Amino acid sequence: MTARPYDSGELVVSGIGVVTPWTDQPEKAALADRPAVPGQWFDHRTRLGPRGYKYLPPASQFFLAAAKYALADSDDDPARHAAERRGAAVGTNSSAVALHDSMDRTVLEESAAALSPASAPYFSINLFGSRLATEHGLKGFNLTLTTPRVAGLESLETGARAVAAGRASWLLAGATEEALPEGLPGHERSERGAAALVLEPAGAVRARGGRVYGGCRVSSHFLAPAVAASAEGPERARRLIARGVAGAGFDGTGTGSGSGAAGVLRVIAVVDESAVGRAVASAAGPGATLVAAGAGALEPLLQVAGALAELTAPVLVVATAPGGNLSLALLTPPAGQDGR
Amino acid sequence: MQEVLITGVGAISHLGHGADAFWHGLLRAESSPGEVADPHARMSVPLMYSVPEQPLPEISSDGDFDGGGVPPGLASRYAIEGARQALADAGLGEVPAERTAVVIGTGMGDSGLHERWRTDGRPDADGEWAPVFSVASALGAWLGAEGPVSSISNACAASGFGLSAAADLIRTGVADVVVAGGAEAYSRVALACFNRLGAIDPERCRPFDARRAGTVFGEGAGIMILESAEHARARSAPRVYAELAGEGWSCDAHHATAPEPAGTQIVRAMRAALEQAGASAEEVGCVVPHGTGTELNDVVESGALHTVLGERAARTPLYSLKALVGHTGGAAAALGTVAAALMLHHRKVPPNRPVAELDPQCRVRLPESEVPLEGRFALVNAYAFGGNNVSLVLKEARA
Repeated sequence: MTARPYDSGELVVSGIGVVTPWTDQPEKAALADRPAVPGQWFDHRTRLGPRGYKYLPPASQFFLAAAKYALADSDDDPARHAAERRGAAVGTNSSAVALHDSMDRTVLEESAAALSPASAPYFSINLFGSRLATEHGLKGFNLTLTTPRVAGLESLETGARAVAAGRASWLLAGATEEALPEGLPGHERSERGAAALVLEPAGAVRARGGRVYGGCRVSSHFLAPAVAASAEGPERARRLIARGVAGAGFDGTGTGSGSGAAGVLRVIAVVDESAVGRAVASAAGPGATLVAAGAGALEPLLQVAGALAELTAPVLVVATAPGGNLSLALLTPPAGQDGR
Repeated sequence: MQEVLITGVGAISHLGHGADAFWHGLLRAESSPGEVADPHARMSVPLMYSVPEQPLPEISSDGDFDGGGVPPGLASRYAIEGARQALADAGLGEVPAERTAVVIGTGMGDSGLHERWRTDGRPDADGEWAPVFSVASALGAWLGAEGPVSSISNACAASGFGLSAAADLIRTGVADVVVAGGAEAYSRVALACFNRLGAIDPERCRPFDARRAGTVFGEGAGIMILESAEHARARSAPRVYAELAGEGWSCDAHHATAPEPAGTQIVRAMRAALEQAGASAEEVGCVVPHGTGTELNDVVESGALHTVLGERAARTPLYSLKALVGHTGGAAAALGTVAAALMLHHRKVPPNRPVAELDPQCRVRLPESEVPLEGRFALVNAYAFGGNNVSLVLKEARA
């Protein structure tokens, strides 16, 4: 089994930041054991600073904090990359749901005039990641992806593709989510928190003696729900995963007899009980670690961050959505740590 | 590197359904917003350029469509109808599902559906989590794609980034065909928030007018078939509207809602797109500006155009689309791109809706009569809250 080595220009992860109600340690944040925490678990004053953050919605605060930790972890120095060469991408599904719900009820019960002018701009979901660019001078680009459940993984994929296209040379990507309002379907699976990764060209990190957690190659696919629900659903899912793994440069499929579409890879599959989730879980094989998906795009990123934090062999993180989205993140440790 | 061609277009807007209705609407240059049909729109200026009532294809889980339990809202239905038009226009036959991708830009997704549930109740109150941004997924399920199906939500520039990301999928060999564009439907929350910000013009959308007083939202979808030149040639595609030849991205990193007054990053995005396309200022035959009717945006964009196009800026015709269809948010760049593709295809720039009094700070040319398109390129700009800027350059191309 081999993973294609990353060349000096390919992005690798040099910093990880995670903020969750139960821990900020990436490897622990990904574990299933998640103790109950009080509602007010995040204090923006201590996490971000005494002034200037009060009126930011929670998911925006979470992402700023995760980014702050990731930047510190990567020993970031803005002087290394010009502001125009620094790009950002964030994935989110549910950041604005509670805010929209509250705003709409204000309009329904009073009128638009009763809305808070400070929070009104946040009807636009891309503002949840915009403060990041302002605060850290990221002028390359600042993408917001919202694809159900896989938006965080897509922030890595689309962001990396943009870097490869020359739109930037440094990337901060991640996911952030806020809980759904009580009573809304899916509330019980709400996500709260954020994960952020700093990605830089491998050669640049090596040249400055920085830490490389590993490579992260993401590919996205689609398994239509009707196909997933059919008898051939698991086989179609298996083919998509095998294609994605091969496309990411991993040659090991089929060597682990009976171990699923990804061969001998360790697989973490973030799935639900939908037809798509069931097909992908089946395709991932009995050796895969199944993680219950939440109502958002955070869980797959938590799994990526947790796996990267202690990466010694290639890992595949798979995420699905009931609507058909399927993304794969192949994580490969730095050269010399992958058993080759 | 693979050339990315636009081989099919679909449009739904205030001007009607279909690319022909859109083009003829541009040539007529007449429109006006109306009050939204929502009885719960408690706000001082409930104006919008709505899509006229016309049956959309029934898409429900009772029929052939299976969205995995996620019901399609109006934006999803606009996107699917736009895609149906674009696919028919492209004459696209069987394309391997794994080589087909979807990228949709939308600022509010299917928020309208969730808003309706708040007033009317959700039919399946014990149903599953229904993500708001499921427009691309609904289209992917309808299409049976197996390639990437992605939703990009950079507000009013969403579909500009989406089209650019779609082109990247083709150039990097991930897909041969991408059904790409943007879709936006009425959202009470969005309109209420713009009312609260005092950003809605109570008369109509009047970009570059000295008396403009904000923007006016519109709804609709612009969907295109982006196709690798190799794929289009191999199947003898019946028509090619244009090549998507260059894209430039930038971020002001300046303010949550206001553009950076000097327009530095706006200029950078335009220059990057023109450079990638190999277009000089002299070769730009038309600009579809972002031009929203908000006071500062129009001034900053006008200044940036002068910086980029130099002395040509005052002579290059602008086509001010939002004056006709309103600000369609996440769909705006896609509809602007459809307009630009049609202009390159027909080799003319439709008449602008007349501007009563051009803002002297906006030294732009807005022809009020149809003019021939001079130049091989068209430039489309889109800007958004958060200082997100994207420029697209379309190049003349033929089948």
